[in-house]
Amino acid sequence: MFLINDIIALLVSNLILTQALGTSTLFIAAGSRKKLIGTAAVITVFTTSGSAAAYFINSLLGSRYSDLTLLFYTIAIGILYVGLLTLLYYISRNAFEKYRKYIHVSAYNCAVMGTLFTIEQNASLSAEAFTLKSYLLSGFEAGIGFVIAALILAAAFGKLNSSKVPSSFRGFPAMLVYLGIISMAVYSLR
Amino acid sequence: MDKPKNTLTSGLLADNTVLSACMVISPVIMCGDTLQNAFALIYAFSAITFLSVMLSSFVPRSLPYTVRIIIYAVIASAVYIPVKLLAQEFYPESIERIGIYYPLIAVNSLIVHQTEVRFFRMKRLNMAGSLIFYILGFDAVMLITGFVRELLAYGTINGSMADMDFLISGLSKPFGGFIFLGLFCGIYRKIRSAAVRQKNEAGSEANVPD
Repeated sequence: MFLINDIIALLVSNLILTQALGTSTLFIAAGSRKKLIGTAAVITVFTTSGSAAAYFINSLLGSRYSDLTLLFYTIAIGILYVGLLTLLYYISRNAFEKYRKYIHVSAYNCAVMGTLFTIEQNASLSAEAFTLKSYLLSGFEAGIGFVIAALILAAAFGKLNSSKVPSSFRGFPAMLVYLGIISMAVYSLR
Repeated sequence: MDKPKNTLTSGLLADNTVLSACMVISPVIMCGDTLQNAFALIYAFSAITFLSVMLSSFVPRSLPYTVRIIIYAVIASAVYIPVKLLAQEFYPESIERIGIYYPLIAVNSLIVHQTEVRFFRMKRLNMAGSLIFYILGFDAVMLITGFVRELLAYGTINGSMADMDFLISGLSKPFGGFIFLGLFCGIYRKIRSAAVRQKNEAGSEANVPD
């Protein structure tokens, strides 16, 4: 019962199904198991470590300099981007060659930036949410949400791209309608 | 003579940012439910994308790829600041309505990832022309989406009541945005393929000897 409640909570707070954040990246991730694992892992690393950076940036800037938030988030993600590539390079050259494309795709996109801004927005509404732990948890939850949405799309990816779907609607349009129906189901859970 | 013209204007229809390239779709889904939101997003997207790509074109190509991508994103984030301050002056209510999607426009794929593939291989004047058509392509999709969703979801046109017998309130919700954009994209593809087929048939008829 607890597990079902947790899954429902994750679905309801899912940033892709409720806020359409990172939809284009999701279409790339759902293409194959390898892409799904690679993209989802990197997105989760970026949302979790990025949210920690966001906590310090928000503490530093306050509401007075909120116009600079995007610039600082961009610089922070840039540092994480270089850091992650460097780390992967020194861990294994083979893994670097294999997985660097997922880092390039995931660094600057709506899934990561949108997560940081959503966490900031929630923290501005409730003082309890303005803690490093809360930021980290929300960032990790957003990454898990991406995995769940990618799994849901991957389950139907083959059928939505098959020749049985009229050519005009095959692929991207069918996937959008499918996500819309899933999003409608999630909306009813709120 | 046809080829350069096609390349320059392809961003408007053939290679539309939203409908063909599947980019910048989150703001269209989430904020494209009224014409007022559409106008605010069009202003933000047009100003940020044009200025950012033009400024980014001066970044030396000799720098490593990752460094260039970070610089493009930083330039776009810096351009976002005056664009947002101007918007606060002229459309103060739009910033609140659009919320987090306003800053997200600055890190859209067209600026960060697609600039090198689509624009930086052209001469600067051609690049500016092509970029304008890509921006217009997004603007057109945003306007049509805002108009249709507002009319069907709220029964209004730019805030004024329209004589509508039925309303589909779900179109104002995120799931309505997903479904509408999916259908819009499918219809766009159908029309495009019909137009291409018609053009090919006309071409083959013209080539038939008497």
